[in-house]
Amino acid sequence: MKKRLNLTPYWLILPSVIYLALFFAWPMVQALTLSIWDGDARLQLRAEATLRSPVSDWLPRGAPIEVVERRGNTVDPDDLGQSNLRTEVWFYIRGESADGRTVEGWAPEARVRVRETDAAGAPTLGTIRPRIGGSDPLTTVYAEPSVVSDVVGRIESNAVVAIERQTILELWYLVRGERDGAAIEGWAPSRYVQVFGDNVRGRIDRGDAGELTLRYLRSMINDRFFWPALWTTLLLMAIIIPVQFVLAIIMALIIQQQLRGNTFFLYVFAIALGVSELAVGIVWYAIFTQNGYLNSILVSLGWLAAPIPYLTADTRHWIIVAIWLAEIWRATALVMVIVVAGLQAISHEILEAADLFGANLWKRVRYVILPMLKPSLQVALILRTILALQVFAVVIALSGGDVVTVLANEAYRQYYTLRNVNVAAAYAALILLLSMFSAAVYLRMVRSHEEMQE
Amino acid sequence: MSVTGNIAAAPVQASEEMLRVRQRALLRHRIQRGFVYLLALALCLWVLAPIWFIASMALTTPATVRTFPKGVLPFIPFSFDTMQFFLTSQGIIPGLINSVVVALITLALSTVIAAPAGYAISRFLFPGRDFYRLSILAVRAFPVVILAIPLAVVFINVGIYDSVYSLALMHTALTLPTTILVIGSVFASIPYELEEAAQVYGCTPLQAFRSVVLPLVAPGIAASAIFTFVMSWNEVFAASILTVRNRTLPAQVLATLNQSSEPYQFAGAFFMMIPALIFIFLIRRYLFNMWGQISK
Repeated sequence: MKKRLNLTPYWLILPSVIYLALFFAWPMVQALTLSIWDGDARLQLRAEATLRSPVSDWLPRGAPIEVVERRGNTVDPDDLGQSNLRTEVWFYIRGESADGRTVEGWAPEARVRVRETDAAGAPTLGTIRPRIGGSDPLTTVYAEPSVVSDVVGRIESNAVVAIERQTILELWYLVRGERDGAAIEGWAPSRYVQVFGDNVRGRIDRGDAGELTLRYLRSMINDRFFWPALWTTLLLMAIIIPVQFVLAIIMALIIQQQLRGNTFFLYVFAIALGVSELAVGIVWYAIFTQNGYLNSILVSLGWLAAPIPYLTADTRHWIIVAIWLAEIWRATALVMVIVVAGLQAISHEILEAADLFGANLWKRVRYVILPMLKPSLQVALILRTILALQVFAVVIALSGGDVVTVLANEAYRQYYTLRNVNVAAAYAALILLLSMFSAAVYLRMVRSHEEMQE
Repeated sequence: MSVTGNIAAAPVQASEEMLRVRQRALLRHRIQRGFVYLLALALCLWVLAPIWFIASMALTTPATVRTFPKGVLPFIPFSFDTMQFFLTSQGIIPGLINSVVVALITLALSTVIAAPAGYAISRFLFPGRDFYRLSILAVRAFPVVILAIPLAVVFINVGIYDSVYSLALMHTALTLPTTILVIGSVFASIPYELEEAAQVYGCTPLQAFRSVVLPLVAPGIAASAIFTFVMSWNEVFAASILTVRNRTLPAQVLATLNQSSEPYQFAGAFFMMIPALIFIFLIRRYLFNMWGQISK
């Protein structure tokens, strides 16, 4: 091993660090954020009808409001698809004013009837709309596409005007609402506000600023599947892991015996390492379903008169048993491989010495092998604990995901069936926190183990 | 104690007794061996019986799948009908193609990123190496697939949701830590002296790496790549979250699980198992390289 200090190793590990930061650390933060942060809870109100104006106050999403005034404002063309977004079109026109001058300036689309358009569909010529019953028969032309800008001139109804160009503005509302009993007023873009038919009353549709919320965590905990999912996950952990360890140690000791056909045994014991979780679930479904293998064998042997339906809502315990067996079948291989690797590290002299001093198999296992395997077993234990939090496809295959449910399945249900991303993220965050707790223990163990070796 | 006394008194008797003792020991040893064999075979039965069951369900006619009681003797009648029924079902062939594409991209991406990192942790002592290794170990133990949910939100915002490529990005995050550790252990098993010797004989460091180290580590890296492929092929949670129309095979089977018939499910399960059975056989020698690492 090179003991020279240089930058090469850092360059070599850099891609993996970046990758894991992007696709591991960041999503993890994202999961926590999604579960406690309501991203559009508040609509910021401004003193003027422009985004440059400072935020003066805010209203919560859903608050009823009244629209006091409207005004157009520049809008990013990419934003035009937003729901609720109301636009206002202004034309830059040139024509003769009421006092005989030629005026050039902006007039709202509502005041101009388009008469001719060019090949691309853009208006080129129009006439000023007549006002019906209005007190002011003239149409005002402004210096800017805004009614609060300078007046350039005034044009009579039905006058022909050339349309030079047009601009699309987003409507801003001066809204008046109430928060905590206090009346609040301010400008907000129309895209965030839903206005009802009378064009005055409305409500805040969504916000543009977030706030901390316990809503998602609360709806996770109040969900009727939450506690069953949590308890089932913990129960499965508690009943799977001990059996798995006993089986794995037995398998590892058999491999250690170097029997004839050792490679065959090794391969067979390790098979499950590569088998998909979903496939395992279906395999055990094939065994436990009403006309499956278990019933077939029991009925054929005459031990049962009629097949028992195991996987029904009334037989939760049988579903748990099926999941238990399936998980033991699937994940024992992983523990076995870790234990075998640990066994190989134990020197043969120690085992031979124990043999020589007349220790029988049980004594050798109890007093020599197990204590020396302790580090491997601890690591396998933590690894299995964390992996047990992810049990998913086996449960779906055996219970349909309703009768017996686990945390990962609830995350999937919230995301996929209920389309509730934030609550799904809350489940993800819960699983991650539970794992982090185990991983902290795990890291400390690994470190103390490495210190021991040094 | 009495035995030693007997030896002094009657040597002939003693040797007979010793013979008997040895025979008894031998017998006990044989019984013990036989017992171990029996245990090993029982455990093999435990592992193989479910595979046997599902294989015999998959390789028969759909009508046989529905019969009760099922015979334990398999493949009667032997037929590819169930398999064919599964493979011609809607979405299975596209799912199969997606699965292979995702797994191949994952394999390539994670090997390319992991190989230099594995080399670094096995060949260099640098400040932060232990921290890096421990972080990788920690990530390896984490339920990475759960991160599919926040990633889905990101992918939707960025506009790369529901694509095999974004799923491969996720799967790479899943497999990367394992791949780094395995490749690290593969490099560690090749003594650095070999590289040094090549350099003494006039190779540049790069040449030494390419013509001496690479041929030696190639099988190990291939094994880790195969394992990466299997991990991606098997993964179902992230695949179900991150894809809607471009489902991978397991995601497709899972999505239709509640509405599908038993022949379809059983054939699907068997089909998903086949690559695992083959690949684990191919890389069985390297399994301990892979997992032994984790306990160190």
